[in-house]
Amino acid sequence: MPDFADKPGLLYVLATLLPVASFTILLLWGALRWALRPYAKDNATVDGIFQAIGGEVPGRAPAYVATAAIFLSFCCALIGFVTFLSDAPKLYRLEHALRDAVAKHAKAHDDENEPKKDQPEKDAKAEGEGKHKKPDEIAAELRKEQIRWQHSWQWARVNTSQIADADRGTILTLGFRIDMLSAVMFMMVTFIATLIHLFSIGYMSDELKKEVEDHEVHTAHGHYHRRGRFGRFFMYLSLFCFSMLNLLLADNLFQIFVSWELVGICSFLLIGFYFERTSASNASNKAFITNRIGDAGFIIGMLILWTYFGSFNFEQIFTQVRCPHNDTHGEIVHEGKKLGANLVRADLDSVTEDKRVGNWQRYKLVPNGSHVLIMPREIPGHYHGPQDGVRAFVQPKKNQLGAIPYWLLTLAGLGIFLGCVGKSAQFPLQVWLPDAMEGPTPVSALIHAATMVAAGVYLVGRCYPLFTLDVLLTISYVGAITLFVAATIAVVMTDIKKVLAYSTVSQLGYMMLGLGVGGWTAGLLHLLTHAFFKALLFLGSGSVIYGCHHQQDMGKMGGLYPKMKITALTMLMGVLAIAGTPFFSGWYSKDEILAGAFGYFMVNKQHFLLFLLPLLTAGITTFYMFRMWFMTFTGKPKDDHVHEHAHESPWPMTVPLILLAILSVCVAWGWPLHKPQNSWLGHQLHHYSQPKTVTDPAFRDDHGDLVPLDADLVAENKAAIQHHSIVGMLAIAVVAIGLAFALALYYFGALDPNEAKEQFPGVHRFLLQKWYFDELYSVAIVRPGLTIAHWCRNFDTHVVDAFVNLIGKWNIVASYWSGRFDKGIVDGFVNLIADVSFTSGNWLRNVQTGYLRSYILFLALAGMAVWILLYAWAGTLFGG
Amino acid sequence: MSEGVALYPYLVLGALLFTCGVICMATKRNAIGVLIGVELVLNGSNINFVAFSQYNPDFQVEGMIFALFVIVMAAGEAAVALAIVLNFYNNHSTVDVDSAEELKG
Repeated sequence: MPDFADKPGLLYVLATLLPVASFTILLLWGALRWALRPYAKDNATVDGIFQAIGGEVPGRAPAYVATAAIFLSFCCALIGFVTFLSDAPKLYRLEHALRDAVAKHAKAHDDENEPKKDQPEKDAKAEGEGKHKKPDEIAAELRKEQIRWQHSWQWARVNTSQIADADRGTILTLGFRIDMLSAVMFMMVTFIATLIHLFSIGYMSDELKKEVEDHEVHTAHGHYHRRGRFGRFFMYLSLFCFSMLNLLLADNLFQIFVSWELVGICSFLLIGFYFERTSASNASNKAFITNRIGDAGFIIGMLILWTYFGSFNFEQIFTQVRCPHNDTHGEIVHEGKKLGANLVRADLDSVTEDKRVGNWQRYKLVPNGSHVLIMPREIPGHYHGPQDGVRAFVQPKKNQLGAIPYWLLTLAGLGIFLGCVGKSAQFPLQVWLPDAMEGPTPVSALIHAATMVAAGVYLVGRCYPLFTLDVLLTISYVGAITLFVAATIAVVMTDIKKVLAYSTVSQLGYMMLGLGVGGWTAGLLHLLTHAFFKALLFLGSGSVIYGCHHQQDMGKMGGLYPKMKITALTMLMGVLAIAGTPFFSGWYSKDEILAGAFGYFMVNKQHFLLFLLPLLTAGITTFYMFRMWFMTFTGKPKDDHVHEHAHESPWPMTVPLILLAILSVCVAWGWPLHKPQNSWLGHQLHHYSQPKTVTDPAFRDDHGDLVPLDADLVAENKAAIQHHSIVGMLAIAVVAIGLAFALALYYFGALDPNEAKEQFPGVHRFLLQKWYFDELYSVAIVRPGLTIAHWCRNFDTHVVDAFVNLIGKWNIVASYWSGRFDKGIVDGFVNLIADVSFTSGNWLRNVQTGYLRSYILFLALAGMAVWILLYAWAGTLFGG
Repeated sequence: MSEGVALYPYLVLGALLFTCGVICMATKRNAIGVLIGVELVLNGSNINFVAFSQYNPDFQVEGMIFALFVIVMAAGEAAVALAIVLNFYNNHSTVDVDSAEELKG
């Protein structure tokens, strides 16, 4: 039994393993039923076992197993979160105390040479903790605290005999590392997953039957009939939960990649849950293949990092790419000036004649060099930091400096971001997510809105210290384009789930934009709040669809409010939250993103689009979300048949809705309520998890001086904080305009939507066709691909096959002649010998007469012959 | 040593007896006749042994002993051969050697 008190991080490992246990149980259970079913008819014993494990209709038991597993995971995550909350301040204090103590130590060392200067004020807490202790003691204490939350096991290693530095790029590990971000994400994922499991018990109840009729699949004999797949659905959900939690748990890129692919396959399986429908199987293929494009980038990025840093571990890579915290001098010196601890650039020194001596090169530190220095992984006792003209090694050992070309580091960042683009459905790979709505609605809610698509954003947040400014700018623009494009498409969609799908893409764009412009906390806070209200909206739409007997077209709904009040009101909460209404959770995060974007715009005026697009889209978001709500719940019923049969959903579906609605409102609250930057959750992320090297202007070097890490980023941050209230007002104004339009068009009927449609037919068609992305890809990629494939097939059939056939024909001819030779010559020779033997034997048989007298006669004659011969021979010999 | 008669006539007599024996063996159809032929051949050779024992001092004892051996062997041979003949008669009701052709190839 592991000691959870000593190592509470193991709680998270347990939380991760519970769903995989559930998956295994359900898999074996299903396999056993499958194996027994054919024999159950004939054999009474087998039939007994078969009935005991559920028979043809095993009921809701699989759902209970899966739900219990994920609920226990949630409990583990909750306990872990509370424990971590109590640990976090201590970790934070120790980190700062360590830095201050090291600074003091270094200062004492330097004071021997330098004249004394004024000591800047220090953090009071850190001062108290670090006053009487030596750096080594604090480091040991910090280490002791840290290992409570992290551990890694060796997984595989390659032969290291050829490599001097045994650790370098030779070991794969499995490990976990909990920080505030993963702790919060764990809470979010397990909580939402639990609710969605509960919801699914109601929503998937059609699958409980022995035989299910699929109305959308037509065969020669009417609708398609198949066995119910209730258990399979929950098995997939369990596997997905495991993969997603493992992704959050991982302390290294490779483990993330494994989970990344696992969530991909779960998404594939669940989108294609009704795989008999052509649309569903196409959608699952589309999602999977589109994601592969992103994953190719991910692999390239990972391999670049592995080559240069010799590790997949986040902490190790980040320590190496940035200035190390416990660098005893901390000054990256160039001509006596500090360069800041962001990315340290260097140039290949052209002055020295012997550029290459052995395997090291001489670098010179410059503000915008061509190479980025890779800091030592393990710093020896007193490390002086890289000085001018420092030596950097091509394959650095643990305590040596290395260097990576700047463009290659950017490429690695872009590669990893491409993976995120695929997973998070960003422009230009956004096409798969709306199609993924073919899956059952709880899946859309859990995977394709709340958690899996958030994995891309999560990974960008995780790898943040790796990204160069060029990568961050790319991320911002991709986010900005995505959020605008998706929002405009959502305006014209009539399928309720498609509206939500495009709104998801748009919101993910917001997160990316937030991260790109330096608002690390804002982007990830939006990820968390969005997860709650988007899960709520999707489950609400699921409830509507369930209540309307699988009718998804909003054109046939309307006036449903009196029929399903709980669903309508909870969804209204979600709509208000996503629109960014003040005091709803979405407001806190979206406001921060807009503020961050504004700060970026203030410093970099040429990137005005990065502020304009999200601001505009805030209004569009409000418009299309209210449009959806009004079209569904208010006005006159548009289809009497649907309206008559509409009903409120049972309690397993409404309870999750109510819980999610409460959280959608208050998950991001802080005190006082009216200031978005006071969000408690945001504060936790910002304070304990945000990479220190990003925008924190209060980063101290080891002398206790405040060091601007990156002048631009700090200026942006300042602008963002200063103009927060202005941006907030602007955003609310835009939201109000959007709401006004929605009310005018869809509630009061002051304007007719159809008229607007007719007035701008081109725009409408353009949006309805989703900006012609599918057509564009079809023309640009799919059809050329098919053409090339066609050519290849022709080449294959006409050239390769012809060549193979020719060889085949030659072979036949050669074999024929070879056969002839074999039969005629070889066999003929053998037969000849046999014939001769036979003939001679047969002839000699005549001698064996069997008559005694003839034998005697022969004997006598032979004796005489011998005698005569001897005599003749003796005669010749002796001359007669 | 007898001086009167030379070695030569003995050898001629032996050769004559041998030839007669062989011819007898080759021509007689009666098994007994064949046996008699065998005896003639053996005695022909005996005469040779005895003659050489008489005329060659190096061969004095050996010649006589060889002759004795031949006689003993002839007796044994006759016993075995007669047994075969009797058996043959039992099976074929004749002693005609030409009717024994089972060994024909």
